[in-house]
Amino acid sequence: MPSTAKSNDVCPGSRDWWAGLLRESFGVSFLLFAAFAIVMGLTCYILLGPERFDGAVSGSLELLGNTLPRVVAAQFVAGFVWAMLPRDRFSQLADANFSLRGLVIATAAGIITPGGPTSAFSLLAIAAGAGADRGILITYITSWALLAVQRIIVWDLPFMGAEFSATRFLVCLPLPILAGMIARWLPLSLVLVDAPQQPGEGK
Amino acid sequence: MTSPGVLVIYILLIVLGTAALSRGHGSFQQGLIRGAEQLIKLLPRMLCALVAAGFLAMLVPTEVISGFLGAEAGFMAIVIGTLAGMIIPAGPAISFSIAAVLASEGASTPALVSFTTSWGIFALHRVFIFEIPLLGISFTRLRMLSVLVIPLLAGGLTLVATSVLSKW
Repeated sequence: MPSTAKSNDVCPGSRDWWAGLLRESFGVSFLLFAAFAIVMGLTCYILLGPERFDGAVSGSLELLGNTLPRVVAAQFVAGFVWAMLPRDRFSQLADANFSLRGLVIATAAGIITPGGPTSAFSLLAIAAGAGADRGILITYITSWALLAVQRIIVWDLPFMGAEFSATRFLVCLPLPILAGMIARWLPLSLVLVDAPQQPGEGK
Repeated sequence: MTSPGVLVIYILLIVLGTAALSRGHGSFQQGLIRGAEQLIKLLPRMLCALVAAGFLAMLVPTEVISGFLGAEAGFMAIVIGTLAGMIIPAGPAISFSIAAVLASEGASTPALVSFTTSWGIFALHRVFIFEIPLLGISFTRLRMLSVLVIPLLAGGLTLVATSVLSKW
């Protein structure tokens, strides 16, 4: 669950700050994940034996070692983006510029975005802060997830082969635009995650 | 293997950190605090998710699943491929390994398209690590509902395309 802007009312580094953070770190969703991991681990141990269990654990730890630096960097990238974006414009302009052309451009942008989720989601947040409408945001991130050329070269091609990759690319090509149109049509409210307090701008 | 992607992150970090510093208004400090807060909140869940995903990858009964993903299963294979893709909370290394195993065990192309497409847009680890911290839960809700039909459509279109082509 997203937090409320704790940093605005509790001094960072104070006891209350830590207490609030740790309460969230080890909250309900943590317990669910932990329970899931324990059940999976026990099942693995019982069904596949201690050797495969050990293999899974050391594989996960290795993956964690590889991923952790990226995740740490990603969170600070997200933090800086969050601190600098004029969030209030997001909801104001969220229903503006309903053109099909925007969705086509967003699809193309998703296809050529290099890098993993950090760069894609940072660009998404920047687009949101700049006032792109919800259709463009959904189309962009869907296009990146399905069609990004760099991901296809690194993952689809070696694992699934050229014919499969080409088929999936062509079949998925129009779908991000459809997702954007559905997003514009859905009657859901869209609020950005807790905006940093700008002086003189009340809620 | 993914070094260009990793590089992008660190370059972004440096560029954005410098931008925040030169912007003033406490942006740099706000960003650092925000990053630290998100990181502390994320780490325990991420550790559990990674460990669980490692076990899951070993436990996924690919023989059983691929039995449901054969060409004779038709549209049902697409639905099951979609559901299977939704529940894998792990990066591309694990999900594509599973897809490759499913392929070697006889899963049909439409089912595999649904599986990889479904994983691509629903991947839960990405939602927790990036989407919710950066854009908020209301964006995630809107996106999930907007893209719900995509894996089914992708699989369905592939099914139509492959059956038309095989008639020729």
